[in-house]
Amino acid sequence: MEHLLETIGRNMFAIFGVMTLCGAAFMVASRSAVHSVLGFLFAMLCIAGCFLSLEAEFLGMAQILVYAGGIVVLFLFVVMLVEMSKKREKEVFQLQSRYAVVAVLVGAAVFVGVFRKVIFGAASPEALVLRPELAQGLNVANQNAQAVSRSLFADFLLPFEILSVILLVALVGAVVLAKTERV
Amino acid sequence: MPTPTLTQFIVITLVQCLLVVIFVFVVVPLTVFAERKVLGYLQQRLGSTRVASGHVGVTGWMNRGMWKWGRIPVLSYWRGIPGLVADILKLILKEDVIPAKADKFVFFIAPALSMVSAVVVFAAVSFVPGVFFTFPAWFPLVGGLPVSGGIADINVGLLWILGVASVGVYGIVLAGWASNSKYPLLGGLRSAAQMVSYEVPLAISLLAPVVLTASLNFGEMSTRMAVGLPFWGLVPQILGFLIYLTCGFAETNRLPFDMPEAENELVAGFHTEYSGMKFGFFYLAEYINMTVVAALAAGFFLGGPWLLPFGLQGLLIPASVPFIGQPHAIFFAVKIIFMLFTYIWVRGTIPRYRYDQVMSVAWKYLIPMALANLLLAALVRCFAV
Repeated sequence: MEHLLETIGRNMFAIFGVMTLCGAAFMVASRSAVHSVLGFLFAMLCIAGCFLSLEAEFLGMAQILVYAGGIVVLFLFVVMLVEMSKKREKEVFQLQSRYAVVAVLVGAAVFVGVFRKVIFGAASPEALVLRPELAQGLNVANQNAQAVSRSLFADFLLPFEILSVILLVALVGAVVLAKTERV
Repeated sequence: MPTPTLTQFIVITLVQCLLVVIFVFVVVPLTVFAERKVLGYLQQRLGSTRVASGHVGVTGWMNRGMWKWGRIPVLSYWRGIPGLVADILKLILKEDVIPAKADKFVFFIAPALSMVSAVVVFAAVSFVPGVFFTFPAWFPLVGGLPVSGGIADINVGLLWILGVASVGVYGIVLAGWASNSKYPLLGGLRSAAQMVSYEVPLAISLLAPVVLTASLNFGEMSTRMAVGLPFWGLVPQILGFLIYLTCGFAETNRLPFDMPEAENELVAGFHTEYSGMKFGFFYLAEYINMTVVAALAAGFFLGGPWLLPFGLQGLLIPASVPFIGQPHAIFFAVKIIFMLFTYIWVRGTIPRYRYDQVMSVAWKYLIPMALANLLLAALVRCFAV
C-alpha cells in the first residue's frame, strides 16, 4: 500500500501530463466548439496539477485563477454566442484540414528542434534556477509566492512593467478597434 | 510527535474531508429550513409548519395545547423540519428529464462542475489554527496522530479559494447553454457577466487582508487579522467586510442580486430545464457556496476561530483569558451560521436590483471603493503595523 502510494506520488507529473494531453486531444478532436472549450478547461486544470506536482504552488494557482477562471470563461462566452450555425462551422473545419496537417508538421518540426536537448538529452543533475541568489533567505518549497514576487518586483521589475504596458496597449487597441467597427 | 507515513497522511486527510462534508451537509439542509422559517417570520407568517411530527414531537404536543388555549403557537419554530426529509426524497426520486435537443454531455457535466467547485473550496479553509484533535492511541492505523484544523492549509490558500470559486461560473454558464432553451441561455449569460464582474471587487476586497497580514495562507491570515492588528486596522477591515459581503451575495446569486434565476423574468433561469437530482446539485451548490462565502467572511473579517470580530480580539481580550481568549472551532461555526442567517435576513429585506443596476453597482461603485479600501489597508500597513 505504502509503496503503491509512493509510486503514484512520484509519478504525479506524468499522470497529470497524460491527462493534459487527453484534454488537449479532446479539444482538437471534438466537433462542437463548446466541447472543445471544456477539453481546454480540463487541460488547463491538469497543467495546474503539473505545476503543483513540481511544487510550484503559486504558478499552479495562478494557472487556475487566470486561465481556468478568466480566459477560458471568455472563450466560452464567445463560442456560445458564435455557435448558432453549426453547419457552416463544419465546412470550415473540413476546408482547413489539409492546411492543418502541414501546420502540425511544421509545428512538430520546430518543437523537436527547440526541445531536442530536453527530450533526448540526459536529465540535468539539479533543477535549473535562473538566478539562485534571488531565493536566498526564502524556503522556496513553502514560500514560492514570496520567491516569485521578489523576482518580479525587485529584480525583473523593468521587463515586468514593460510587459504590462504592452498588455495595456493591446487592451486599449482592442477597445478602439471594437468601437470603430460599431460607429 | 511522530511523523505520519504517506498512508496515514492520506487517511487523516480523508477523515478531515469527511468532517468537512458532514459539517456542510448538516448546515445546508438546516439553512434551507431556516430560510423558510426566518423568511416566514420576517414576512409576518409562520413559514413551513404543515409537515410536522404532530402527536409524537415535543413541540407538536405543546403547540396542540396552545391551539386548545386559543393562542397562536409561538413554539412552532421546529415544526416543518420533517419536511426536509420529504424534500430530499423528492429530489432523489423525481424523474430526471433531459430535453430532447439538449447537449447530453454538457447537460450532465454542468451540475457536477457547480457542485465540485463549491465543495473543493473548503480544502484551503482552516477552521482552527494548529491541531483540531488527536486520534486516541487505540485507533487502528492512525492512533496518536494529530488532525490539523484545515484539510490543506497551503501557502497560497487564498488563490486556491478564488481560483476554484471562479471555476464555479462554468456550471451555470454551461447549464444555460446545454439546455438549448431561451430562458436558461439568458440566465446563463447574465450570470456569466455578473459573476465575472463581481469577481473583480471581491478579489480586491480580499487583497486588503493580504496586504495587512502579508500572507496568502488562510490560517495565518485569519490569525493575524484577529489578533495581530493595531487599532487602525479596524477601518479597512470593516469597510472591506461590507464590500466583500456585497460581492459575496452577487457571487452566490442570492437576492438582491439573483439575476441568473430571476423568477419573474426568466422562469427559473439557468436551471429551468433541470429536474431531479441534477437540479438538486445546483440547489445544494448554491447553499454550499453561501457557506463558503460565509466561512471566508468569518475567517478574514469576523475573527475566524476567535471570539471578537474585526481584530478587536487582539485589542481587547489577552490570550491568557480562559476559553474566550483562545481559538475554538465552535466560534467559527457560530459565525458561519450567523452569516447564513444574514443571507436570509437580507433576502427578506431588500428587493431585487434591475440588471443594469447590478452591473453599475459592481463597476462604478464597488471597484473604486474596494481600491480605496486597499489603499487604506496599505497605509495602515505602512505606518501602523
